Amino acid sequence: MTRIKCTDLRGKKPDDLQKQLEDLRQELNVLRVGKVTGSGGAAKLSKIRSVRKSIARVLIVTHQTTKENLRKLYHGKKFKPKDLRPKKTRAIRRLLTRKEKSIRSAKTKRKQWAFPRRVYGVKA
Amino acid sequence: MAPKKEPAKKKETTATASVSAATSAGTTATTTASASVSKKAKTPTTGQKPGATTGGDTTKVVTTQKKEKVKTTALKAKQRVTRGNKLTRKRKIRTTPTFRRPFTLRLQRTPKYPRRSVPKRNRLDHFAIIKHPLTTESAMKKIEDNNTLVFIVNIRANKPLIKAAVKKMYDVDAEKINTLIRPDGEKKAYVRLKADHDALDVANRIGII
Repeated sequence: MTRIKCTDLRGKKPDDLQKQLEDLRQELNVLRVGKVTGSGGAAKLSKIRSVRKSIARVLIVTHQTTKENLRKLYHGKKFKPKDLRPKKTRAIRRLLTRKEKSIRSAKTKRKQWAFPRRVYGVKA
Repeated sequence: MAPKKEPAKKKETTATASVSAATSAGTTATTTASASVSKKAKTPTTGQKPGATTGGDTTKVVTTQKKEKVKTTALKAKQRVTRGNKLTRKRKIRTTPTFRRPFTLRLQRTPKYPRRSVPKRNRLDHFAIIKHPLTTESAMKKIEDNNTLVFIVNIRANKPLIKAAVKKMYDVDAEKINTLIRPDGEKKAYVRLKADHDALDVANRIGII
């Protein structure tokens, strides 16, 4: 079997990917039986690894496309699923946002406007 | 009673409209209530006439007050009709000394967003359940003599799951399944097939000979 490439897989439809996944898993099953019965030979035994990795690739592509589509779906919405929100760290997520930090009372705003920090120069 | 009064009061239109509304509300109810309404309606009407004679502005103030009063009396009359003339509610008779919390409304969840965007995929699907069949001498004996197949199975699988997996993968019905956990930590499943299946044929089909 030719090597399955992720770039090829990304173009496919989800149904095709599912079907491919099933085929690969069936193949893996057959190979494992062959391993136990001792029928295969070195070629078949080494094929197990490549099939396993191909299955992984299909699953990766499936998952990535699903996630991407979901992100598009929830883009701009107020409530997103938690795994689509920025992960960062727990502490950072609980900090004040930039906007919340920049809030000033009317009093301080007026003070800042009325009495800004002046810069002077001394003439030599 | 109401139509007689109406043409007389058409000068003060707002008051009359409210009064007629009140009396009409009364007439929809029982006769006793309507009588009480009409009685209450009479008192503001009598009050209006002296008010009308005094002055232009004062009449307006008077009429709005009377209007509200008439409206509330009409509303009260309506309420009395629906609930009876008693102002107290009927008290429930309690037969036990304990107070149990009454059944309250329990709403179903309507989440604003799913917590997980993608639901978890089932990692114990039929491919993962059956790892591979056994081809040892004793396993071969089982195939021939007892019409059973022997599989190494995922340790987290239980008998009904194994049965379903075997059916899905190999198209065979299992009569019964016995499982054991081997000393090396793997689960072995003896799958006895139903009488209409032949284990030898199935074994050939799978690839264990």
